[in-house]
Amino acid sequence: MRAKGKRASGMERRRARWGWAFVLPSLAFFGLFSFYPIFNAFYTSLFKQKLLSLAPPEYIGLGNYTYLLHSPTFWNSVRATAIFTACTFVLLVGVSLLLAAFIVSRKRVQKTLQMVFFSPAVVSSVVAAAVWLLIFDPRGLGNQVVNGIMQTPGVDHKWLASATMLQLSTVLVYFWKYVGYFTIIFIAGLASIPATLHEAARIDGAGSWQSFWKVSFPLLKPTIVLVSVMAMIQCLRTFSTQYVFYQAGAPRGPIDVIAFGIYNTAIRDHQIGRASAMSVILFCIMLFLSWMQFRVSRSDDVSYL
Amino acid sequence: MSRTSRIGRREARTGLQGGGRAAPVRIVIWVVLIGMALYILAPLAFMVTASFMPARDVMRMPYPWISGSFYWQNFWQAIRGNDGHFMYARAILNSVIVATAITASTALLATLTGYGLAKFRFKGRRAVLLLILGTMMVPFQAIMIPLYMTVTKMGLQDSYAGLIVPFLINAFGVFLMRQYLLTFPDEMLDAARIDGAGELQIFFRVIIPNSWPAIATLSILTFRSQWDNLIWPLLVVQSEEMKTIPVHITRFAAEKFTDEGAMMAAAVIASLPMVILFFALAKYFVGGAKLFAARKG
Repeated sequence: MRAKGKRASGMERRRARWGWAFVLPSLAFFGLFSFYPIFNAFYTSLFKQKLLSLAPPEYIGLGNYTYLLHSPTFWNSVRATAIFTACTFVLLVGVSLLLAAFIVSRKRVQKTLQMVFFSPAVVSSVVAAAVWLLIFDPRGLGNQVVNGIMQTPGVDHKWLASATMLQLSTVLVYFWKYVGYFTIIFIAGLASIPATLHEAARIDGAGSWQSFWKVSFPLLKPTIVLVSVMAMIQCLRTFSTQYVFYQAGAPRGPIDVIAFGIYNTAIRDHQIGRASAMSVILFCIMLFLSWMQFRVSRSDDVSYL
Repeated sequence: MSRTSRIGRREARTGLQGGGRAAPVRIVIWVVLIGMALYILAPLAFMVTASFMPARDVMRMPYPWISGSFYWQNFWQAIRGNDGHFMYARAILNSVIVATAITASTALLATLTGYGLAKFRFKGRRAVLLLILGTMMVPFQAIMIPLYMTVTKMGLQDSYAGLIVPFLINAFGVFLMRQYLLTFPDEMLDAARIDGAGELQIFFRVIIPNSWPAIATLSILTFRSQWDNLIWPLLVVQSEEMKTIPVHITRFAAEKFTDEGAMMAAAVIASLPMVILFFALAKYFVGGAKLFAARKG
């Protein structure tokens, strides 16, 4: 009896060791390539440090942060990111919800339409940016289509030249790339709502419009909030489109989003300390959003009754 | 009018899944759907058609959608490059090496860790899980500069190792595999143990062969995100020889007198692997999006 118990615990201990053995390699990895860089970012942000410089970094406390708070370039970055995120996010969430509702109502073509809207997912963001770059060319399809619809032949809409249009252009590219993705998430959300509820609503005399707003929409709210936070986090990380457009000669100011700003500060200006401070700020914003996402996901146990 | 027929008529014109809507609503729905479909498909169609046109046709107004030309030289030009050094071919090779290595290691390590967290009880398991999941909240853009300094300190800049090592595993993969393996029947594992199989043997002979759906989804997500990675190669790569596809394509955009036809040919080539994966494994692609939604659970 005792021997058996001892053997069992011995086996358990052996199993526990194996568990650690399976987990340890990735834990070491995350330590080195996730946690260490975060702490390093906090630490470096307190120093005046130049890339490729042999001079020892000079401790300046919160100097980098106060510098950023007074730097018009940084605030421009914040503004560019906020504009991009707000526009893309509203478009993404609103349109993909609408599309999901429409697609679900057209059962016969649902599969085809899902594939169509999801198809930009196969091109990488740099390829997407390169294709849209030619579309936004003064001679490109962008002008042709808009002039065709608005009956304004020969007008150049300065897609990549005027500040507002440039911001709109990046939004259009991003929206194009991700709308299908979020549509599919919403379709999955709609599909999880029991059909009996719609039947019940129908018997109670609700029209399809009412059925959507009064049944689907409230039950979809958790999905909507979740998708919103996800879309926001995605938008805050945007970099490729802005980088490609800038490389092609577009002005940097209107599309100097924060990731692009970090890259420029570190690589072009060699200001590692300052770039680290920007990273820390971005990190805090994202952490707040993730925390919100977590809160929301915990409270979204929808009861269908 | 009898009550039944009234309900019947209502049924006929209502319901989210419903067939017979009022005509104007139906028209609006179709206009929106077709308009959006055109907005989505036109750039893709433009990319493909332009890749078979000489540059002067690509930028002609109005755009000659069906030009009848089959200017395959674009593809040769894209691969050969202006200087004849075949740098794009090299970039493709680099991207394949980097994305494949990262996908393989992520699939292996994420399954291993997910298995350890799902099926073994040990002290600190919860802490390990929370720690790993916590890294999902860390955006890459926020740690890329310190990471870049670390990689430089290790002497890995401008090398395959430098491109690959920071992405050997990701937290989402661990999360995905753990969720999947939580439901794995313990009986199978115990049976293998009774048959005298070692723990590593069980992992390779029982766990991996029975986790293909999850591994495939994870692999596609990983491969796609690496195929798409621009910012990290921009940081660590200095030489022409180490550039990956995204970095190479941005160079096209940066050139003042770029050959638009060749640029679209390069874009088509860059998209081919994803197109093939998409049509071969569409359900895992879409499954990935749904999993993302399921992350809330």
